[in-house]
Amino acid sequence: MKLKNMTNKVRGNMQLHPFHLVGPSPWPMFTSFSLMNLALSMALTSHGYMGHNYFMFLAMFVVFYSMTLWFKDMMAESSYLGDHTMAVKRGMNQGFMLFVVSEMLMFVSLFWAYLHSALNPNVEMGMMWPPMGMEAMSPAELPLLNTMMLLASGVTMTYAHHALMNKDRKNTLYGFMYSTMLMVVFVFCQGLEYSFSSFTIADSVYGSAFFSATGLHGMHMMMLAMMLAMCTWRVYNYDFTNTSHVGAETTMLYLHVLDMMWLFMYMVMYWWGS
Amino acid sequence: MFSRILKQTVSKRTLTSSSRLFQAPTKVNSPTATKLAEVTGPDSSLIGPGAQPGTIPSNLDQATGLERFEMLGKMEGVDVFDMENPIFEGSGTMQDPYLVPTYVGYRYVGCMGKKGEEHRPYWLKVTCDEPARCWHSGVVFLGKYVGAPEHSHH
Repeated sequence: MKLKNMTNKVRGNMQLHPFHLVGPSPWPMFTSFSLMNLALSMALTSHGYMGHNYFMFLAMFVVFYSMTLWFKDMMAESSYLGDHTMAVKRGMNQGFMLFVVSEMLMFVSLFWAYLHSALNPNVEMGMMWPPMGMEAMSPAELPLLNTMMLLASGVTMTYAHHALMNKDRKNTLYGFMYSTMLMVVFVFCQGLEYSFSSFTIADSVYGSAFFSATGLHGMHMMMLAMMLAMCTWRVYNYDFTNTSHVGAETTMLYLHVLDMMWLFMYMVMYWWGS
Repeated sequence: MFSRILKQTVSKRTLTSSSRLFQAPTKVNSPTATKLAEVTGPDSSLIGPGAQPGTIPSNLDQATGLERFEMLGKMEGVDVFDMENPIFEGSGTMQDPYLVPTYVGYRYVGCMGKKGEEHRPYWLKVTCDEPARCWHSGVVFLGKYVGAPEHSHH
């Protein structure tokens, strides 16, 4: 580097490379153990090995607890300590892209499972889809409302993003709040739809494939609601700047990808498949 | 005593580990640097003025630490991390080796060969003590200590 004015003494006191070498943190280990607890207690509860679901809710609470503290550390590192240089931000964006790609492949496998039976219903299913005796949901009722809400969330998200880039705090906050609320309402309606459903995850390959796919999407929506709530808080807390907001960018990418995912799911599983 | 603790916890912040950090008075030694020359180290010279209430801040308002340092450099066209074009002195011969700037007395260099005779990077540990020569293309490198004299371990 051709230092123009700054002394080499000062430069030698600073970190020489742009990368963020994270300090020792308990959260990776803590989160791993709490996730293992959650998986175990969920499986044991749903297979009837435990007479109650207290452990499941306890494990869920611990997962949320560790997530909260880990996110708090990351917000401190990015907004308050300035550890996130351009190279770090680029790395996080790339990491998130890879994560999204792997998520999409997971959905691809569930579509494969669904279409494997739906395109060739065998004799045990009565050679029809939905299988004989199954009553599929109407695509014109709650699912249509959910589709409209997800499309609307795409609009409010873009509204929030443009307001953020144009330094309009009020509209950024509104945009993120509307998007969060749409996600919460989506999850609520999905819950209603599940509770009114005439079949369960244990009812034929139709129920299994349907609830695996829409349930995975629903869990992503819950995560997205949390991410959006966090973004709203970070805007409120002046964390995001008009040019540097990796957390918001990844949340937006996630929202749009999952919206598209839902459209395919709606078309294939609710509309064509019913 | 218990009621006093309870009162403190409720009246201040419930997350105690954070509250201790937040409530400790921040020492401000040097004012916010507006250009690279005014940076005095990883200290308060790299803390921005912060956001105006009711606005979305710009990065120049908000960025701190290394992020701010990088930005101040970019505004002056200086690559503070020395990543884009670190070696710009010398010609790579034994008489006139490429000079590799270093703040710690050594630096790893991936030699890519000469112009027209490029090869895949072969990694050399280049020190300030003696020239390092790529065993594939024969290009010579020598460390050049650029830090402050008192930081040197030699």
